[in-house]
Amino acid sequence: MDMSLNVMKSSWNPFHPRFYFPLALVVFLFILPILPQKTYYQDLILMIFFWGTLAAAWNLVGGFAGQISLGHTAFFGIGAYTSTLLWLEFGLSPWLGMFAGAGLAILVAIGIGVPCFRLRSHFFALATIAFAEVLRYVASYWRGLTQGGVGLLIPFRPALGSFMFHGKLPYAYIALGLMLLIILVSAIIRNSRFGFYLVSLREDQDAAETLGVNTSRCKLIALIISVFFTAVVGTFYAQYLLFIDPDSVFSLPFSIELALLTIIGGLGTVIGPIIGSFILTPLDVLLRGWLGGISAGLNFIVYGIVLVVAVIYFPRGIAGWLKTWYEPLLNRLPGSKLAFAPGGTASSPPYTTRATNPGNPDPPDEQITAPLFKAQSLTKYFGGLAAVKDVSFEINQGEILGLIGPNGAGKTTIFNAITGFLSPDSGRIEFRGKEITDLKPPHKVCLTHIGRTFQLVKPFNNMTVLENVMVGTFSRVRGAKGAREEAIKVLDFIGLLKQRDSLASSLTIADRKRLELGRALATKPELLLLDEVVAGLNPRETEEIIKIIRAISQQGITLFIIEHVMKAIMTLSHRIIVLHHGEMIAEGTPEEISRDKRVIDAYLGEEYLA
Amino acid sequence: MVATLVQLIINGLLLGGIYALISIGLTLIFGVVEIINFAHGEFLMLSMYASFWLFQLYGVDPYLSLFMVIPAFFVIGWATQRIIIQPIIHAPPLNQIFATVGVSMVLQNAALFFWKADYRTVRTAYSTLSLKTGGLMISFPRLVAFVLALLIIAALLIFLKQTYTGKAIRALAQEKRAAMLMGIDIYRMYRIAFGIGIACVGAAGAILIPIYYAFPTVGALFVLIAFVVVILGGYNSLVGALIGGLIIGLVEAFSGFFLSPHLKEAVYFVIFIFILLLRPVGLFGRA
Repeated sequence: MDMSLNVMKSSWNPFHPRFYFPLALVVFLFILPILPQKTYYQDLILMIFFWGTLAAAWNLVGGFAGQISLGHTAFFGIGAYTSTLLWLEFGLSPWLGMFAGAGLAILVAIGIGVPCFRLRSHFFALATIAFAEVLRYVASYWRGLTQGGVGLLIPFRPALGSFMFHGKLPYAYIALGLMLLIILVSAIIRNSRFGFYLVSLREDQDAAETLGVNTSRCKLIALIISVFFTAVVGTFYAQYLLFIDPDSVFSLPFSIELALLTIIGGLGTVIGPIIGSFILTPLDVLLRGWLGGISAGLNFIVYGIVLVVAVIYFPRGIAGWLKTWYEPLLNRLPGSKLAFAPGGTASSPPYTTRATNPGNPDPPDEQITAPLFKAQSLTKYFGGLAAVKDVSFEINQGEILGLIGPNGAGKTTIFNAITGFLSPDSGRIEFRGKEITDLKPPHKVCLTHIGRTFQLVKPFNNMTVLENVMVGTFSRVRGAKGAREEAIKVLDFIGLLKQRDSLASSLTIADRKRLELGRALATKPELLLLDEVVAGLNPRETEEIIKIIRAISQQGITLFIIEHVMKAIMTLSHRIIVLHHGEMIAEGTPEEISRDKRVIDAYLGEEYLA
Repeated sequence: MVATLVQLIINGLLLGGIYALISIGLTLIFGVVEIINFAHGEFLMLSMYASFWLFQLYGVDPYLSLFMVIPAFFVIGWATQRIIIQPIIHAPPLNQIFATVGVSMVLQNAALFFWKADYRTVRTAYSTLSLKTGGLMISFPRLVAFVLALLIIAALLIFLKQTYTGKAIRALAQEKRAAMLMGIDIYRMYRIAFGIGIACVGAAGAILIPIYYAFPTVGALFVLIAFVVVILGGYNSLVGALIGGLIIGLVEAFSGFFLSPHLKEAVYFVIFIFILLLRPVGLFGRA
């Protein structure tokens, strides 16, 4: 039995290394600040926590969601300036000012995020730089508010309420608290539906949308959480140094440093950014000590080189490498033979293809006698070219409808119009009696129980097979445990159970097609759109996929299939419609279609009859 | 007032020519290699220093140094593509972004290390020369810079239109796979395109040094303008980069006069943000 499926249990055995080893690390962190006598080293430890928290916050957006922000310094600066100004002008305690700063930073982040998340990755990075630069100008030139380049000096008045303390220890423990909090938040996110959604949209946004992921909202929420922590640490910074100026809190190198720590430590992992800070922050202090004496800037040369070498040769970072010895280490520690999670490892009962019913939708509404799906006069132009012209058809409950036609006939355009990737120029689409013509973006269509696959499969490459399918099951099961159980049923059904822990990138083409099918099925569609699922497969693989499609149909799922492989479409379909130059030229049973003169001329060819 | 307006237009256009030359290199690299060269400004800074030292040490006139800087920077660009970009050409955007960000960090701080933070410029006989006609004043080095920038851009456009290599690069920018199938060595074309892009920004540095200062972070200043130009012109249109450069030059001249020279950056970014919001493909870009 695979352990990874059963680690999430409510009661843990405290004598198991999986429990006491991380606990020992946390205890060690608490002892760490009081170990050194010199304030120099206390400061170093504090800075490790400080940068670790910031990098982990950046990682939520840059690592998990793959949205590369080079403007996080803006949020840090807003946090620092807001709480400082509120304290200096109105005497508002920085403890409260911290939340005011975070709130303001979040508002700005929403203003930035909503327009910029539409941009492709490189441009998103560019736009975030621009926004951060604008804020630096504001801070530099709005002298009445910020004193401009002179900066703001906070008079030292130590008290709990003023967030100022004698010595370094109180600051060190505040920083440690923040760091542990962000580790906890990251860990919760990583193992939750939200975390799966973030990683899935990083890997392939279109695929994530078709599985019901509201990608815009997920990105925004990740940004908000990340910005909250960044701004809070900004306040901490101001209270610790008691001096801020635009160049120190609104600086591009600051944003880059967050990314550097995260990349070195391990992008998109929970502890990667922390590891990165534990390695690079001391290095930074040492380098500044050694090289700073020789000349300013030498430490940044070293950083730059480290960054370039890391992204070219070690993009997985240290966390990826640590993983390979963390498990063996745990197994060697005393207590590893004990059961970690008492309560047993109840495995789900074995499923057979026939016995399961993973994709079965909610029982259909009794009153629906009309067709399940209706398209009326669909028309879509690209420039002056009609990709789809006045196409009308219906799909009945439980039917398998085939869609064939030469390349460029508009087949995929119809799929894209149905699933919310395109808006038709005119016409009407109805599903279960409700109009969904302009339903956008695609995740909304998924949630009405229409699923689809892509002609060129879009696996989430850096997720395992099981995780890929879980993204689908999460559209209807909130909890990770339930989603995992459901996903396992689906994997069993499509015959990928053995590969469940392999990365999707390692699958063969045939298995990727199965995965694509399984993921779509996991959303429990009532209508499933399959775009050339057997194209490129050998006869035996084709045979197996056809079997699966039949089984799906037998569960009552209505199917709409684009296919060029005639044997597949003719044996599967109850009814076929034929597109040619965007127009529907025929509709009928496979026999009727294969004898239709126009279809033969346009698509099948004379030899098909023979 | 009319004279002032004409003067502002002239100033703006002259400035815009150089912006266009810097931006066109960035656009070419983005259009072909599909990465944003975040180190673009640092290459500008390097070439400004190169011209400065050629003048300072060997008395080479900055305009003459073009003949050394352009081939040298082509080689530097070629090598950057070969050593740093090529290994990660298929990697996720994050790796590509931080590779050039890292290069930018190294170059900027290397300049700080070797040449200190001092502002350096070239004083030539023509540095302060200007043409005066009908109440207008046209700075001679700025005029030369403008003419040279346009000539180099014209040469680049002709090269891309007329030669096999140029056509291959354009084909690659349109459709990578088809270009490969036509027997184009795409990796070689990437190196050439990157080399040309850096040669352009190298040339810009040489013609900029008689009218501006070289210092380690000068690139950061200009690259932000180039980013705005590229977004404005459409990130895959060379002609868009040219027109975008001229527009930003005009914006700078006018905002400097009517608002405040300090606010010109703020004005760029407002434009930048509006373009991103309203027309993300830029004025001349294709979706």
